Amino acid sequence: MNFPEELRYSREHEWIRVEAGRGIVGITDYAQDALGDVVYVQLPDVGLEVIANASISEIESTKSVSEVFAPVTGKVVEVNTTLDDAPEQLNTDPYGAGWIFVVELAEPEQVDGLLDAAAYQAFLEE
Amino acid sequence: MAADLACLDDVAAGAAPVLRLYRWSPPALSLGRFQPETDVDVDACRGLGVEVVRRPTGGRALLHGGDLTYAVAMLRPPGAAGHVDALYGMLAAGLVAGLAELGVAAAIGGDRGPAGPVCFAAAQGADLRVGDRKLCGSAQVQRGAVVLQHGSVLLDRLPFDELDLLAPPAGDPAHDAREETRARLRAKSVTLTELGAPTDPGTVASALVTGFARTLDVEFDCTVRPGEGAQG
Repeated sequence: MNFPEELRYSREHEWIRVEAGRGIVGITDYAQDALGDVVYVQLPDVGLEVIANASISEIESTKSVSEVFAPVTGKVVEVNTTLDDAPEQLNTDPYGAGWIFVVELAEPEQVDGLLDAAAYQAFLEE
Repeated sequence: MAADLACLDDVAAGAAPVLRLYRWSPPALSLGRFQPETDVDVDACRGLGVEVVRRPTGGRALLHGGDLTYAVAMLRPPGAAGHVDALYGMLAAGLVAGLAELGVAAAIGGDRGPAGPVCFAAAQGADLRVGDRKLCGSAQVQRGAVVLQHGSVLLDRLPFDELDLLAPPAGDPAHDAREETRARLRAKSVTLTELGAPTDPGTVASALVTGFARTLDVEFDCTVRPGEGAQG
């Protein structure tokens, strides 16, 4: 299972990549593996104000419906509409083409409170 | 199914886990959480007296009326035991034990079928089958620390099925793919009646309670809550 060093991770199994005050968010390799084949991704609305750790959308897989949580507080400024036609990108490329939304960080320091790759893997082994 | 979600909310607020068993009157067609409403033939449903409801869980259209529906709302166990597959396995064990009380040897799992609009036309990995035919379909929604899983055990068939209630697929009107799906639905599903097993809903419900109690090692406080109907 793959957990890139340059990302930060939440205990709800989202990753975030921060670039120029914006955070790109998706679900981790671990999460996509647990969900199984993803068949639908409910995208949040652009402009939605999100709060860290709040549920903002849902993912349907062949096994279950599960929530997506915001890892940080901010405003959704972009969503990955290619997931409408190709939700399986969450399985095939969770850290790349399977990104879900971009959030403009309201409190950038929140990122420091997220887990690094080693801490996330340790959390998974608890 | 709103009552199932209410149970989930109660559990999230600290209430005890719930096993809920119920039937549907009038019959109802439940759609998966994100299944398009355009899949439904509204006039056909109205004509046959079938209500249309939306499940909080995923999956495809399922006709209720000939089934016994179960719902479990509980806290997710910590760690790997709280994962989707582990929860399906744990609750499937209860269902299998319950069906064994009725003399039915059900097994977990099935081949992945085509992604059509009808739930019982294909068996998924978490379903229960007898031979290669699906007797019980289940679906799950996880919300933070709690999980709701519900599903249907087929007791008997109604005079109509899901294909009578769904909109015709786009394409060549001379070639109605619904008939192929109907044939697959019949071939890939089985009812307790067809298995020669008891079908009295009270008997089946008692058997499932026994199965869950044994495999989960719990005692149930059995409370009857009548009258929820298709809004349940």
